[in-house]
Amino acid sequence: MVIWIILLVMTAAAVMAVLWPLSRHYAVAGQVDPNTQFYREQIAEIERDRARGALLPSEAEAAKAEAGRRLLRANGLQDAAVAAVGEPALRRRRAASALALSVVPVLAIAIYGAYGSPHLLSTPSVPVSQETAKLDFGTAVAQIEAHLAQNPQDGRGWEVLAPVYMRMGRVEDAVKAYESALRYLGPEANRLSNYGEAMVLAKDGLVSVEAQAAFERAVALDRTAVKARFYLARAAEQDGQIEKAKAEYTELLSASPADAPWVAVVREQLSRLGAPQPGSAESGGPQIGSEDIARMVSGLATRLETQGGSAEEWARLMRSYAVLGQRDKAAATAKQARQALAKDEAGLKTIETMARELKLIDSAP
Amino acid sequence: MTRKKRRLTLIGVAGGVLALALGLVLYAMNDTIVFFNSPADIQAKNVQPGTRFRLGGLVKQGSVQRTESQQVSFEVMDGQSSILVRYKGLLPDLFREGQGIVAEGVLENPDVFRADTVLAKHDENYMPREVADALRRQGHWQGEGKASQQAQ
Amino acid sequence: MLVEAGHFALALALGLSLIQFVVPLWGARANDPVLMRVAPATALAVLACVGFAFVALTAAYVTSDFSVLNVVENSHSTKPLIYKISGVWGNHEGSMLLWVLILALFGAVVAVSKNTVPARLQANTLAVQAAITFAFLLFILTASNPFTRVMPAPGEGQDLNPLLQDPGLAIHPPLLYVGYVGFSISFAFACAALIDGRIDAVWARIVRPWTLTAWAFLTLGIAMGSYWAYYELGWGGWWFWDPVENASLMPWLAGTALVHSTVVMEKRDALKVWTILLAILTFSLSLLGTFLVRSGVLTSVHSFAVDPARGSFILGILIVFIGGSFALFAWRAPLLRQGGLFAPVSREGALVLNNLFLATACATVFIGTLYPLALEVLTGEKISVGAPFFNFTFLPLIIPLLLLLPFGQTLAWKRGNFLGTAQRLYAASGLAILVTLAVLAFTAGGPVAAPLGVGLGVFLILGSLNEIASRSWSKGSPWAVVWRKAAGLPRSTWGTALAHAGVGVTVIGIAATAWGVESLGTMKVGDRLKAGSYEIRLERLLPRVEANYREDVAILMVSRNGQELGNLETMKRLYLTRGMPTTEAGIMTVGLGQVYASLGEIQPDGSIGMRLYYKPLVLLIWLGALVMAAGGAISLTDRRLRIGTPVRAKTLSAASVAAE
Repeated sequence: MVIWIILLVMTAAAVMAVLWPLSRHYAVAGQVDPNTQFYREQIAEIERDRARGALLPSEAEAAKAEAGRRLLRANGLQDAAVAAVGEPALRRRRAASALALSVVPVLAIAIYGAYGSPHLLSTPSVPVSQETAKLDFGTAVAQIEAHLAQNPQDGRGWEVLAPVYMRMGRVEDAVKAYESALRYLGPEANRLSNYGEAMVLAKDGLVSVEAQAAFERAVALDRTAVKARFYLARAAEQDGQIEKAKAEYTELLSASPADAPWVAVVREQLSRLGAPQPGSAESGGPQIGSEDIARMVSGLATRLETQGGSAEEWARLMRSYAVLGQRDKAAATAKQARQALAKDEAGLKTIETMARELKLIDSAP
Repeated sequence: MTRKKRRLTLIGVAGGVLALALGLVLYAMNDTIVFFNSPADIQAKNVQPGTRFRLGGLVKQGSVQRTESQQVSFEVMDGQSSILVRYKGLLPDLFREGQGIVAEGVLENPDVFRADTVLAKHDENYMPREVADALRRQGHWQGEGKASQQAQ
Repeated sequence: MLVEAGHFALALALGLSLIQFVVPLWGARANDPVLMRVAPATALAVLACVGFAFVALTAAYVTSDFSVLNVVENSHSTKPLIYKISGVWGNHEGSMLLWVLILALFGAVVAVSKNTVPARLQANTLAVQAAITFAFLLFILTASNPFTRVMPAPGEGQDLNPLLQDPGLAIHPPLLYVGYVGFSISFAFACAALIDGRIDAVWARIVRPWTLTAWAFLTLGIAMGSYWAYYELGWGGWWFWDPVENASLMPWLAGTALVHSTVVMEKRDALKVWTILLAILTFSLSLLGTFLVRSGVLTSVHSFAVDPARGSFILGILIVFIGGSFALFAWRAPLLRQGGLFAPVSREGALVLNNLFLATACATVFIGTLYPLALEVLTGEKISVGAPFFNFTFLPLIIPLLLLLPFGQTLAWKRGNFLGTAQRLYAASGLAILVTLAVLAFTAGGPVAAPLGVGLGVFLILGSLNEIASRSWSKGSPWAVVWRKAAGLPRSTWGTALAHAGVGVTVIGIAATAWGVESLGTMKVGDRLKAGSYEIRLERLLPRVEANYREDVAILMVSRNGQELGNLETMKRLYLTRGMPTTEAGIMTVGLGQVYASLGEIQPDGSIGMRLYYKPLVLLIWLGALVMAAGGAISLTDRRLRIGTPVRAKTLSAASVAAE
């Protein structure tokens, strides 16, 4: 609310900047005209120069004569100017005021409305007090990185670094780091689960074949690996095997103690799956992702349908639907993409790769 | 001196200077301008050895060889053909195998290009424009699609 | 919240600049002083709005507010504070905002100088200025908005291009922009004069400080950019005739001509139409420079983002303003009153010649820069016009100009005596020839061009000093009198002399590059590499880690003729966030020359590639530019109002009367 008042005050101030000179009455008559003033000063300057001996008297005379002529000319021009009071002037002033009162706020609000983010106004801006902490953090990361650059076989180091990367949002790096950790420290259920999770995040939530393999290995090593089992259930869900997913979630829930931190999440998944068949358009989507994601996906879909787009964009739309659990839509998108990109050899390849990855192959025409 | 005479002098001098400049420009245009070719262009246009031009393309994977005293050789390729480039000097920071580069130099014989300058991109998003165009024509480069994906 | 308020302020500025464009123009036409007075008030309000927007964006950078897309794309929380601030203009959107901020700042200064600028001229000028501001604000808001938000905000930014993380680049754009945008004021004044159909010495007097300021800043900006390219790109070159460099050189050449022609106009009331045309041309070239650099037509470190929509928007602005101003010129210029007369051999004549050479040189650069683009658009053929072209066309036009410079500077106003002038330069030219011969003998066997260039530079410096000396020294007068006379000379005279001497200094620096030596080698620890009389030994190679990059450092011991001078470090850096490598050259200044070492690739066996240069007197190139800018600054402080008198001409009063 405060911010709206601030914006209002700003607008008022801006309009006032225009109205202020318009409201004041004409009082410039006394002001010296800079034109004639210039030549007067010039003549005075010549006098001073002569007094100092910088100019010979004859030179000074010539210069003064020239400046004097220019002064006369400037005076002559001056007569035509000034004096504008009375009815027409008043009308002009009113028109200018009306212009300022309308143009400034209307233009500003129109432009700001179109390009600004007023919905973000009410949320407080991001707190950034941990500035120095972040700096040290960055240095620490860089130090570990430098150390690992020289001793790449230090699996422990990679294992420490990987979750840090995850937190920094450097997911791809995290995948690589887990990979190295696995290589040097050997497979272990927890490590494999984390590796898989990093891969899932790198693909925007899609459980890829590789990730699934990692989770399966983790479960093979340790039946109770919660994270791995959770993602395997999700993989089943994304493959369209809803019943299997439900069964796995339920099993996971029954095997965990009632106060385990993941119980709530699993319950949520279950209740979602319990809702009407997630294949239909309206039911599945909005509940899963936040509304924003759903809106973005539908925006992308509309754009691609109406204006077309690159193969990468089509592929991303397919993946988004798959992640949202709308497999029939993903399949339909694949079909549309194949038509739209019929002449684009490389584009088709991208689509097919994505379809294979999403296991949409059987839904192909 | 009258206004007219003054004007004539001015026009005369200006004409002289402009004529000089025009002559220099025309002469320099014949002599100093360097064309851009991709490896395929060298055969297609039948570029003669001894010609100076800019060569653009991708550095072929695994073709970079370094010898004594900073002598480097590598192959530059486009979709259709490739050519051996020899260069003595430090390569730019962003010179990597598989990256687009532009080399300026002289065609030594139909198979060897001797470069005296090698330019790589200025940052990781930048593909030398000539190279990008040449490759796009041949349908090889999809860098832009990738970039746009990253951007979103 | 601050970010959104800043965004809104920018939108307000758009509306205000529209008012600032329409109302004063109307007022000037209707002769209504009240409407005209709207101009200065709105100009100040626009500055307040744009300034606030800029502060808001800077605050977002400093606090690493990653909900702003622009900050995400160009900043990083571990970046040093100075690069967080310079990151504001280290990208397309922010740099355009800086552009408009400087534009608004200059408009505000015109607005507050109400006692020196006639109200009509001020109103028209600010209106034209507002049109430019409006166009660029519209461009910023619709096509390159720095205030676009991302929600949810990412945890970390993508960092600034490492090449731009450099103190030189932190100040290069502001300097250059003050130069570019400063010419917009000259442009606005020129258009105002055309609209009003009136131009005289008062106009020139008002415009001169603007042109000089812009010129001095542009000089500094170009020099800064050149020095940056020299030490950051690691090739040891300082000018590449790169289109982006040419884009800044063209307005500089036109601006230099403009500085000189305004002098003629102020003192002699002549060259009016030409001066107006030059003012329009100079700013048009500035706009063209902005277009070339920002549109992605040219790819370089400057073209931050290649977006065709932006390119066509700037092209549109370019066409409207250049086309509009030339149309205005064609329509109104014939109505302007002709100026005073002068003989071909006179200071005015010399300045006309100066303008002629500068404008022609500018035209050759223009052709060389735009011909490849035009050819590609028309035929699809790709060519590159490089240094050989420019050396061949530009130098033959600039060298005669420089040779004639001391003569022109010595000539009297209105009518000069060439023989007399030549006589006054006997000492300077004699000394210059002597120096040339001495250097030639000393460096026998070396390049011939270098001693000739040094001779030219010496001639320029001595010619400038000669001007001061001859105006303050006369035979037999005691030193105290000479000193007092010299100190009493107008500061513009000192400024002129200094700026011209600066040109001489730069010329010497450029000429001396011919003596530079270079060598290339592969080194292991303990190996030596020699260039000229300088030698380096590789002492150590070690890795190092900093906040946002890690680097491999080569520590070198520099020695000259066996005598050790100290250590030098050259690095290969890897900026972590972008995974981008850069080379940092190691530079040791010895006198006015520099030893320059650049690290190549590090091989698996621990050997490194190394390029070593010794560049004698190379610092003079940029010192000269500093001296030129200082000359401009001193000239700026001269507030005197003078008229050009035919000093020392014997028969003057009659001639001057006849001339009018």
